[in-house]
Amino acid sequence: MSFIISLKDIERFYDVGGEVVRALDGLDLNISANEYISIMGPSGSGKSTLMNMIGCLDTPTNGTYEFENEYVHEMDEGQLASIRNRKIGFVFQTFNLLPKSSALRNVEVPLIYANISKKERIDRAKESLIDVGLEDRMHHKPNELSGGQRQRVAIARALVNKPSIILADEPTGNLDSKSGVEILNIFNQLHDKGNTIILVTHEEEVAKNAKRMILILDGKVKSDIKN
Amino acid sequence: MIMSSIWQNILISLTSISNNKFRAFLSVLGIVIGVLSVTLMGTMISGLDQTFEKSMSSFRSDVLMISRFQWFDGDKEWWQMRNRPRMKPEYVDNLRNRSTMIDAIAPVMERSGEISRNNVETYARFFGTTPEYLKTNEEQKIESGRFFSNIENENGARVVVIGNGIATGLFENENPVNKYVKIGRNKYLVIGVIEKQGSFMGMWSLDNQAIIPFGTYQRNFAKRGWMNLRVKTNSEDINLAKEEITAQMRIIRKLKPLEENNFGINHSSGFEAQYNAIKFTIAGVGFFITALSLIVGGIGIMNIMFVSVKERTREIGIRKALGATPFNIMVQFLTESIIICLMGGVLAISISFIISDIINDFFPSTMPIKLALFSILISVLIGVISGFIPSSRASKLDPIEALRYE
Ligand SMILES: Nc1ncnc2c1ncn2[C@@H]1O[C@H](COP(=O)(O)OP(=O)(O)OP(=O)(O)O)[C@@H](O)[C@H]1O
Ligand SMILES: [Mg+2]
Repeated sequence: MSFIISLKDIERFYDVGGEVVRALDGLDLNISANEYISIMGPSGSGKSTLMNMIGCLDTPTNGTYEFENEYVHEMDEGQLASIRNRKIGFVFQTFNLLPKSSALRNVEVPLIYANISKKERIDRAKESLIDVGLEDRMHHKPNELSGGQRQRVAIARALVNKPSIILADEPTGNLDSKSGVEILNIFNQLHDKGNTIILVTHEEEVAKNAKRMILILDGKVKSDIKN
Repeated sequence: MIMSSIWQNILISLTSISNNKFRAFLSVLGIVIGVLSVTLMGTMISGLDQTFEKSMSSFRSDVLMISRFQWFDGDKEWWQMRNRPRMKPEYVDNLRNRSTMIDAIAPVMERSGEISRNNVETYARFFGTTPEYLKTNEEQKIESGRFFSNIENENGARVVVIGNGIATGLFENENPVNKYVKIGRNKYLVIGVIEKQGSFMGMWSLDNQAIIPFGTYQRNFAKRGWMNLRVKTNSEDINLAKEEITAQMRIIRKLKPLEENNFGINHSSGFEAQYNAIKFTIAGVGFFITALSLIVGGIGIMNIMFVSVKERTREIGIRKALGATPFNIMVQFLTESIIICLMGGVLAISISFIISDIINDFFPSTMPIKLALFSILISVLIGVISGFIPSSRASKLDPIEALRYE
């Protein structure tokens, strides 16, 4: 079977004051459509670096990255931006919402860069916010929302362009357990609808929620278990 | 699609600017001053042009003035020409007979004085000339009444043709024709009124002239005095006419081949050259001030854009993560800097509209629409130039680094 994501011998080195930090050090990973993957590992093991790589925010120092049969490591900035925009939904630990814009405006942003007309943009952004249960918070600014609500805005934003893959780097890391459970429920539903989900977490509970658990150590895949 | 994304960028910029109104206002001041000096300088020059053209209309390109002085003569000071012989009335017929290029020729004597009616007195510039004068000055049209005749001229009849200013000054709404005015101790019959002429370079009015027959002038004012000969030529080539008349004048004056001219033949191009020199000085100084203030203004905008990019590093990271291309980011910040500059430009144009309106009371100055459009263009250009480096820096930010920025 074919993979939508295929990483081969990926290396990502940082040069910190003359010393080379090997954030990813010969990592191999294949991912098929509609998988539900959790990534765990100690702090500094390279989880975020890997997520950024998969999400086309970063490119490898060495190695090949195939995304839907296209070589990401050969792409220019514009092509990477286009993949991020259309194929990938990113959810961050710190939400990364635009602080001065309303929830609705935040969710509209990916559609702006997809050149969607204003009317359709607003319709789709509203729909997406309704999907995450925020129909009555559309015109609130991030600082008028709780942590859980902010993360739901971020998820609505990640979903609004109907990407096939959702990447979440410690999405529940800044949330209380109740909000965390709500967020996880949304991911479970998305998986049931056919999305591919990859999430980084430090919590065993959250990881067990996934169908496949990957452990990263020193920039390599240490173990890869399917439940 | 493109329109909507331009609009989107404008919205983003407006939000960002309104979040920092005072800062935007301060940074725009340089541009305001720069554009203000563009518009005011342009307005002033166009005002000068208008007045110059209007003033020159009585001195058309086919008119020559023969006089003791050569105007705008680079080699001679006026006092070197002061002792030259005067023009004489006999020259008029003499020249007309000798030259083939003269269409009309009239002697013109002039002086200042008072003109009055029923104890109301006003300043006037008196001209003594012949009926042919009208042919040499086609811009001056008789509004009502008539010009004097040859017979009146020869008889020294006390008739006068007055300018519009004198007419309103002495007669208000009455028709002055066939009424009497007093010049010196004598009564003169007003036989005509000349159309409104305006003022010469906004300095002296051409509407306070009073034209009387040459004979009358000589009899009542002065026989000898300041005299010019006003010539309208029929030659297509003004320089040819100048040469021919110079030759005839030399014969009349009995000058030997090596003697230099003791008269001047003047043409409006002398005025024009003089005027252009003044204009270019103003324009040059203006250009220097303008360029300087625009550069300073542009640097201010560049500075503020660097600050804006720095402050919004995280926003740039977020936008890039969500699919903004470097081009998108570039356009976003360029739009912002153009809008700031445009605001400055529009503010400057409004201010200079007001200023030129106020000045207009003293000196004709209306800002041409073209100039306003040009200023808008300049503002946009400054926006692009000064926003370019900050925007391109923003567009090249690494998304991950930008997202990490606190
Ligand atoms: N921009 C960078 N410059 C230099 N070193 C970096 C940079 N980003 C990451 N690193 C290094 O790469 C290694 C992996 O970092 P990464 O953020 O991927 O870890 P992580 O597994 O996500 O850790 P955590 O669980 O704490 O989030 C770390 O040693 C980190 O110091
Ligand atoms: Mg991390």
